[in-house]
Amino acid sequence: MYNKEKASRPNKKRDSLSSLGSHEVKAKETSPKTKDSISTVSYIDDPGHHDDNTRTVVQMENTYQMEPYKRFPASIVNDVLKDVLTSYLQEIKYEAELCRQMTKTISEVIKARVKDLMIPRYKIIVLINIGQLCEQNMCIVSRCLWDASKDTFSSYTFKNSSLFAVANVYAVYFE
Amino acid sequence: MDEFQLAEETAFVVEEVSTIIKESVEGAIGGNAYQHNRVNQWTTNVVEQCLGQLSKLGKPFKYIVTCVIMQKNGAGIQAASSCFWDNTTDGSCTVRWENKSMHCIVTVFGLAL
Repeated sequence: MYNKEKASRPNKKRDSLSSLGSHEVKAKETSPKTKDSISTVSYIDDPGHHDDNTRTVVQMENTYQMEPYKRFPASIVNDVLKDVLTSYLQEIKYEAELCRQMTKTISEVIKARVKDLMIPRYKIIVLINIGQLCEQNMCIVSRCLWDASKDTFSSYTFKNSSLFAVANVYAVYFE
Repeated sequence: MDEFQLAEETAFVVEEVSTIIKESVEGAIGGNAYQHNRVNQWTTNVVEQCLGQLSKLGKPFKYIVTCVIMQKNGAGIQAASSCFWDNTTDGSCTVRWENKSMHCIVTVFGLAL
């Protein structure tokens, strides 16, 4: 029975979501087709997706705004990234448990600092990778399908004697 | 009823996206061993295939696809992400794939327009 109640909300809720574990993380093991590879899927289970009321899309009034009034300052964010990574990781040696907490903390801190810049109508995604330096090779690549004139990203890599850290911040304009 | 269908079309469907990612990864690097001179091309292939399939879904979404390919060497890696968006319409999906010589982690973020 489809619930016809409409939840009337004046503004769309802008929420922060982090991988800190306040939401369920579901992992699905899939049996490999070929014997030599395994894949696992994980995603955050949003409480919003199970709520019938939020199924109705909120109609927003037109603002007739074509361009963002204030653009995302990629260079300032670059400095923020450099600052945060250096201050948190300068003296740290790679340890699994410590770095696990560190990645989560750093991503929250960077998100908070970028939010403090108060750039309106931009959605923010912060992605942190911390890895052990061990004579291995790796390649980190990202590609985006977005509006290149309005959306942008900022990236910084930090290295010390035992670990490396890559921080990426993507800013997507919300039309 | 119309509104229900509209919401279905504009929600981020994790299963669809994870299938697309798995197919792209299998297609680009399935059955290969880690080779340093080819990894650049592999990552590009994975990401481009993912984006191509995602855009074919025809949904009003902006996508960000990230791929990490790492040689298996006993080294550890941690990854975390923090997102400031609309929980009801936006979502992300991560697929970890591995074979005998490398790990591959692909993350797709979908942001509704």
